[in-house]
Amino acid sequence: MPDLGSALRSHASPSLPGLPRSLGRIAIPALLAAVLVVGGPWILDTYTLNILVRALFVAIAALTVDVLWGYSGTLTFGQSAFFGIGAYALAIGFTQFGFGPWQALLALGAAVGIAAAVAGFVGWLSFYPGSTPLYASVVSLVLPIVLVQLLYSGGTFTGSSSGLVGFESFDVSLDNWFRLAGGAVLATLVIAWIVLSSDAGRVLGAMRDNDERCAYLGIDTARVRIALSVVMGVVAALAGYGYVGFSGVAAPENAGFVFGTQLVVMVALGGRGSLIGAVIGALVIEVASAYLSSSLPFVWELIVGVAFVLVIVVLPGGLFGSLREASAAMHPRLAALFARTASSISLATLDRVAPTPDRNAVVVEADGVSKHFGSLSVLSGVSFTARQGELVSIVGPNGAGKTTLIRCLADGRERSEGTVRVCGHSIGRLPPDRVVGLGLGRKFQAASVFETLSVADCLRVARSRSERPSLVAASPVLALPAAARAVVESSGLAERLDLQARFLSHGLKQALELAMVLALDPQVLLLDEPTAGLTRAERQGFAAILTDLVARERLCVLIIEHDLDFVRQISSRIILLHQGRVALDGPVADIVDDPLIREIYTGSTRPKPAEAKP
Amino acid sequence: MITPVLDIVTTAAILFIVSAGLLIVFGVMKIINFAHASFITVGAYTALVASHLGLPPVLAPAAAFLVGGLIGAAAERVVVRRLYGRPLDAILATWGLSIVIGQLVTLVFGREVQFVPAPVSGTLAILGADYSSYRLLLVVAAFVIAGLFTVLLNGTRLGLSTRAVIMNENLAQGLGIDSTRVRLITFGIGCGLAAIAGALITPLASVDPNMGLSWLIGAFMLVMISGGSLLTLGLSCFVLGGLQVLTSTFISPILGGLTIAVLAAVALRLRPEGFARA
Amino acid sequence: MTLTRSLSTLLTAAACTTLLAGAAPAADPIKIGVPVGLSGANSVVAPSVVQSAQLAVDEINAKGGVLGRQLALEVADDASGAAGAQKAFDSLVFQKKVDVLISMETSAARNAGLPIVTRGKVPYIYTSFYEGKSCSPFLYVNAWVPEQQVPPIVDYFAREKKAAKFFLIGSDYAFGRGMLAFTKAYVEKIGGKVVGEEYLPMDGSDWTPIISKLKAAAPDALITSTAGGAPNVTLTKQLRAAGVALPYGNLAVDEGTAKGMGTDAEGIYLSASYVTGIDSPANKTFLAAMQKKFGTELKTPNDLSVPEYEAVYAYKAAVEKAGGTDATKVLKALAEISVEGPRGKIAMSKQHHAPLTMYLGQVQADGGVKVIKSFADVDPGAQCPNLKD
Repeated sequence: MPDLGSALRSHASPSLPGLPRSLGRIAIPALLAAVLVVGGPWILDTYTLNILVRALFVAIAALTVDVLWGYSGTLTFGQSAFFGIGAYALAIGFTQFGFGPWQALLALGAAVGIAAAVAGFVGWLSFYPGSTPLYASVVSLVLPIVLVQLLYSGGTFTGSSSGLVGFESFDVSLDNWFRLAGGAVLATLVIAWIVLSSDAGRVLGAMRDNDERCAYLGIDTARVRIALSVVMGVVAALAGYGYVGFSGVAAPENAGFVFGTQLVVMVALGGRGSLIGAVIGALVIEVASAYLSSSLPFVWELIVGVAFVLVIVVLPGGLFGSLREASAAMHPRLAALFARTASSISLATLDRVAPTPDRNAVVVEADGVSKHFGSLSVLSGVSFTARQGELVSIVGPNGAGKTTLIRCLADGRERSEGTVRVCGHSIGRLPPDRVVGLGLGRKFQAASVFETLSVADCLRVARSRSERPSLVAASPVLALPAAARAVVESSGLAERLDLQARFLSHGLKQALELAMVLALDPQVLLLDEPTAGLTRAERQGFAAILTDLVARERLCVLIIEHDLDFVRQISSRIILLHQGRVALDGPVADIVDDPLIREIYTGSTRPKPAEAKP
Repeated sequence: MITPVLDIVTTAAILFIVSAGLLIVFGVMKIINFAHASFITVGAYTALVASHLGLPPVLAPAAAFLVGGLIGAAAERVVVRRLYGRPLDAILATWGLSIVIGQLVTLVFGREVQFVPAPVSGTLAILGADYSSYRLLLVVAAFVIAGLFTVLLNGTRLGLSTRAVIMNENLAQGLGIDSTRVRLITFGIGCGLAAIAGALITPLASVDPNMGLSWLIGAFMLVMISGGSLLTLGLSCFVLGGLQVLTSTFISPILGGLTIAVLAAVALRLRPEGFARA
Repeated sequence: MTLTRSLSTLLTAAACTTLLAGAAPAADPIKIGVPVGLSGANSVVAPSVVQSAQLAVDEINAKGGVLGRQLALEVADDASGAAGAQKAFDSLVFQKKVDVLISMETSAARNAGLPIVTRGKVPYIYTSFYEGKSCSPFLYVNAWVPEQQVPPIVDYFAREKKAAKFFLIGSDYAFGRGMLAFTKAYVEKIGGKVVGEEYLPMDGSDWTPIISKLKAAAPDALITSTAGGAPNVTLTKQLRAAGVALPYGNLAVDEGTAKGMGTDAEGIYLSASYVTGIDSPANKTFLAAMQKKFGTELKTPNDLSVPEYEAVYAYKAAVEKAGGTDATKVLKALAEISVEGPRGKIAMSKQHHAPLTMYLGQVQADGGVKVIKSFADVDPGAQCPNLKD
């Protein structure tokens, strides 16, 4: 492996040693921007500099909104609250304790600490298994309102409605404030760009596209989101700290709901999900409103409102997105400049000890599993075991409870009664991401992949549970377990590693999802009608893959299927479910010709089905 | 002693009137209309114009309903219709819409604060206390509105179609119900209701381009925890409105302003689908 | 020959010079910045303030301007708050580069603007009544402070209405709290008792719980100090709707707002340095000029807008005395000059504040104010003892 890796690295595009490749793509714009930041004060007049310094700090706050909303899919109105926390930490600190280096550090520490604590709490409140994005937005809405009311009730400590003013602050020249603010924006942009282009950044996009799939890949999305909230909250607080350090006035408007929504408007107009769009949006709106608010106050806000509605409804990419598409249409080279997917990925196989051919430990045990919805009983007393090397087909008419059974096996919170053990461990009430950790992989009926990620990125996200993805680099090598690699190569995905998943055909999407689940290296594989919609050739290929997995890798595969011929062809065992109970359970040969199956499928008046055969 | 109780009842009534329109839109269309605040403002300004034109005060809510309803229907046709699959974007677009409407109102009427005289002034001696007649009148108005809408929903063909669309839109469409028309009418009615609310609350407050905003968050939270049932909305307004009044009276008016938002957020955490039984 | 030629050269040169001098551009206008609450809580009174400034500027320009230079007005919206004031002051001081700021604002806006005024070194004449004790070498105030405004009302209630228990309601910000703190101290000084003191945030509009507390406390008199404009109106409307008929002293209402409130305002007591009914030739001339200039668009001149008119004239006088717009000289001159205006003779001679004639009045059914008593030359007290001038 090391040889292959280093060989690939030397083949890849040249970059400075130690620095991530993504930095190379933005090096020139970043340097240009740095020149502007350093030289700006020599060309711009005092008033413009004044406005720009404030606008730059606001731009940092807008960046945090873009990361949360554009990249990870959480619409947040509450970043203004963290901005306000940083702002008031400085103002209160300097008002109460005067100005000096240790007061400044104390205020900085308070800003960071309080913002982190509040963000953590809000994150815990908003992101929990089963939470909806709407609820997270609701909480983010309530946060600045609560904060502002607390500020109002703070009397002279917080300055109440008037805010705090008149405290002594940093004695830095306007020119240097500009350089500081500009430098901060640049640094934030670069760091955000590197992290979001890295493998770890892909996970954010995956969570935005398909949160459920992430959970079933073993990713604790709640924890990732909470961690992200904390980081973004701290960054916004630092922006507020700088803003008030410069302006000398901390007012409740800096922390309120209206400012929070303005940040969202800036990001939307500039182009969500593009980072630079947030900065552009913030700068344009702040500068224009400063100049226009006296001459065209009402009309300007009207224009912003109309533009905002237009962007949301018809132009989701905002200004930057439209620029990107327009330039891509005009010149393909420009398109490549804006393209985000990495260039060349190569596959590698993970080293693994092949399991002994006759290993057949029990890996799935269901004991008395039941699921009720009120008085409606979907599953009752389902018990069976499954071993390594078995391919068990679960069959039964519609409404028999097949998908519910799969859910109860994969998600510890689903069942009403009974126990489920995976690879010897009880799943208790564990959420799906933890059950995956026990060795279980679930493939959904409708292909559940990450639409805007490339095939390679989808697979990489699938590996992120086992291999901590880099926060900095985007690895050019994709290492997969042998089974996953086999699926990728035999299905034709290997030629499409850079293609976004949403452009794949139905059959390829199914293959991709299978490969992603196999990338988990599971011992138990749950498949829900995997051949639905596949051509005959695809179905045969699929059958071959499954039988291979079971024979060579000693997987235990539980598959829900309607196609009885397919079932007969590949299974070693059949479980027949009927009205929530196990009607038959035994080797294929015994079951297939049993008259019970025919009667259940065609429907006939028979009393309770016979007991399941062991 | 009786005064806080009357405060609670009248506050609940006002909250109900303000939130009903938002609930109807959310229940049928599953989106949050963040432009609700600006329709409150539109209703208030309609009442202002009506009073300037010399119309009798009783007609003001009706005029407001017409104006709000028409603008709402236009908004649905042009903007909201494209956002049904994207609830978060719907919040944003309707918020943008409220900015646009607010600015248009400012352009036409100016930024100043204006006043509409109360149609009913003075106090009523009730249960041993002198209480504002107008506030008591609003309680009656709340029941009238609730009654009208229950009748509309349960007693008319439109109401039947609407209930079908709420329960299962695809099936309703398959049965020949024009769900697009149902949505258009519902959105218009929801905005019209917001406008009525605006017209009704102006005598107690002032009329300025941003007046609706302070009601938006409270209404939004109440609708979210009511989960689509008018009855539950009434109960939520009573419980949370009551807690708001009690907090304002006995602890601090500032914290009172927070009560609805915070308690509703906590309630939603415990029961994300809201508290409607249906 | 040479003499004629040199003479004609001389004459041509002289002609050219005179022509050039005549064609030289007129001197730059003197810019007066007016940051005011066009939106927000002060949006009710801001138009009247702008109108006063416009009339003063027009009158002065018609008479030749100040030291041969015309006056120009730059109005900016401070959104009645600290954040908006920062932007407005920045725009006026650093972009439009005004020579002076003359305006009426909320205390929040004023406090936020002062550091910018200090940085920009621009004189600032504050024309709004306020809670007092705001001090800066660059700040002059020609409107009243609590020491001038509160005693007339409290004394009247205590003596004529025999009020011993007072209830205080205000907006929770510097002005509201400052005024009521002074009121409470004064009430207790004369032997009365304050049985309740309640505040609502500046943007609050639901006074219901506070009104309930008021009724429960059963005081003899009510004194309120809300932010100007909308909070004043909502409080009064809700008080009347709840049937409160106590002697009601409003420390923050002006005639224009009172007129807009209609019948709800009847009976309110106010104490002001200006009422439209002041019977003086200066006031009558002023009112006639306002009516002529604005016609039906006229907003009632009031205690917040008339000081703006007089302040423009005060600045004119100071510039003329200082011989120019140099800030240091103008600031020194502002303490020494006086103007005759609708409110009489105003001089900002007491630690940058002005002794004023105060009028105790009551709002009538038609919205006008009837003057009950007047007090001449009320001293503002020691507002800024640390200012050296």
